[in-house]
Amino acid sequence: MISLKINGQSHDVDVPGDMPLLWVLRDVVGLTGTKFGCGIAQCGACTVHIDGKPVRSCVMNVSAVGDRPITTVEAVGETPAGKKVQEAWLDLEVVQCGYCQSGQVMSATALLTRNPRPSDADIDAAMAGNICRCGTYPRIRAAIKKAAEV
Amino acid sequence: MKRWGLALLAVIVILIVAVGAFLFIPHRLEEVSAPQGMPTGQALVQRGEYLARAADCVACHTAPGGKQYAGGLPFKLPVGTIYAPNITPDKRSGIGDWSDAEFVRAMHHGVGKNGEDLYPAFPYASYALMTTEDALAVKAYLFTLAPVQADTPANTLKFPFDQRRLMRFWKLLFLPGHRFQPDNGKSPDVNRGAYLVEALAHCGECHTPRNFMYGLDNAHKFAGAVTEGWKAYNITSSKTAGLGDWSDQQVADYLSTGHADKRGSAAGNMGEAVSLSLRHLTPDDIRSMVAYLRTIPSQGTATTESAVDLDPPALKASTPYSPTPDELQDASLGLQIFQSACASCHAWNGEGLQSPHAALIGSQTANDPEGTNLIQVILRGAKLETNQGTIAMPAFGKAYSDAEIAAVSNYVIAHFGNKKPAITPEDVAKARAF
Repeated sequence: MISLKINGQSHDVDVPGDMPLLWVLRDVVGLTGTKFGCGIAQCGACTVHIDGKPVRSCVMNVSAVGDRPITTVEAVGETPAGKKVQEAWLDLEVVQCGYCQSGQVMSATALLTRNPRPSDADIDAAMAGNICRCGTYPRIRAAIKKAAEV
Repeated sequence: MKRWGLALLAVIVILIVAVGAFLFIPHRLEEVSAPQGMPTGQALVQRGEYLARAADCVACHTAPGGKQYAGGLPFKLPVGTIYAPNITPDKRSGIGDWSDAEFVRAMHHGVGKNGEDLYPAFPYASYALMTTEDALAVKAYLFTLAPVQADTPANTLKFPFDQRRLMRFWKLLFLPGHRFQPDNGKSPDVNRGAYLVEALAHCGECHTPRNFMYGLDNAHKFAGAVTEGWKAYNITSSKTAGLGDWSDQQVADYLSTGHADKRGSAAGNMGEAVSLSLRHLTPDDIRSMVAYLRTIPSQGTATTESAVDLDPPALKASTPYSPTPDELQDASLGLQIFQSACASCHAWNGEGLQSPHAALIGSQTANDPEGTNLIQVILRGAKLETNQGTIAMPAFGKAYSDAEIAAVSNYVIAHFGNKKPAITPEDVAKARAF
């Protein structure tokens, strides 16, 4: 039995230690906001926060989490930066198909938490690992800038 | 005059007869018997399993995707290809028919069941140091495996290398004629470590450079060498080029988990050695190996252009999500690739976002201006089995061109190693060829 702290709640899950965190979140705990994209940490769709830092949950063994708190897109709106990001996302209607967007929101929130006034280059450096097949990049960048102003 | 001619002829004849005898007299088969106090039954098999892991037999005796110990892994040499044989107990294609004496002879003398000389791709120059008792334990374990019918492909060596008897010259020069001799002047810990490092783990087979006859150049023991396109790093006590500046804990962690704090992670052949062998060793044995490695005399020194920089300025000026302002301004091709493919796991400040294993600060591979292992790990990825599960990095060889991989390698070494590398697309093309 592995004990996880997800979005402020404790969850005991009966899974093998080498199960990817993403599977535990989606299939065992039932938090399906986090998406499976590539499975090899190259697209960013599965991004969650561990201890406030963005990680790719598809390649992270659940046993490696330890007692660090996990935040998923379901609860990121409860953080100040996450709230601003989600509002900016809605205001600018960033989303097209939406599949990658939970990962985008998680990476953007982590960036703004650390760097409240990012430049375009800072945004590229932090967000380039989150791929959007619909090509919503200009709106993502605009929304991050908008969230940074609020 | 005639007398001198006869004497010369006699000398030549004697020489030919002597060399002929050396090459053609069959190898003896010494009887072996279980030493007193040797465990039996399940205890012996368990000991053999541990020793087989410590000796990492499975690494070479398993083909990619094949059954464990069923052989078939190719060793591609400039003079042809050698295949590792099947060592499951199948009677026809494996070693099921081998006697104890034949098995011990192979381990200690590099001689096959039918008296043929074996090639030193089988590291018998190391296993020669193994005690007879331990060799028998390994055999007992191997004989509990499920027999696998798998014929080993025939070697394709060119003449004269296909003449196995010539290995007798090699053995004369490089095969120890004795078992491991403990040094009574050293602690039991150091002696245990020496036995593990030299006789079982055969670290020197990769980490010690070879001379022109493929023998280990033990005057430069553990000074580092290149094998199959990967560098086995200097593991002597050199403070600049080797492990001299590592803490005991760092060396122990690296051996048992494939990663040490602020020292990077193992990939390539070392990653395989950790995955298959070293991580299964007891903490006591790992500690002994560290104690022995500490006694290896320093070899070589590294300059600031090649030594690991433990505190590079670019990392201090970076955050996990952003590189230095100067680098952003520069927006080099290497930076652009790093930000899209690498930064989300490795982090710009070297701390590793995904896992401690992804931390690049202090990594020898990210500090090597030649980029030998860096190019390989980018091309082929890395996969490490740890006791907490698999840690993996994807392979990027098919996703990026030689020029792009050269650019990102140069960026990584400049950023994480504070060096001025000059890796070219040709270097990447050469690395792909392995």
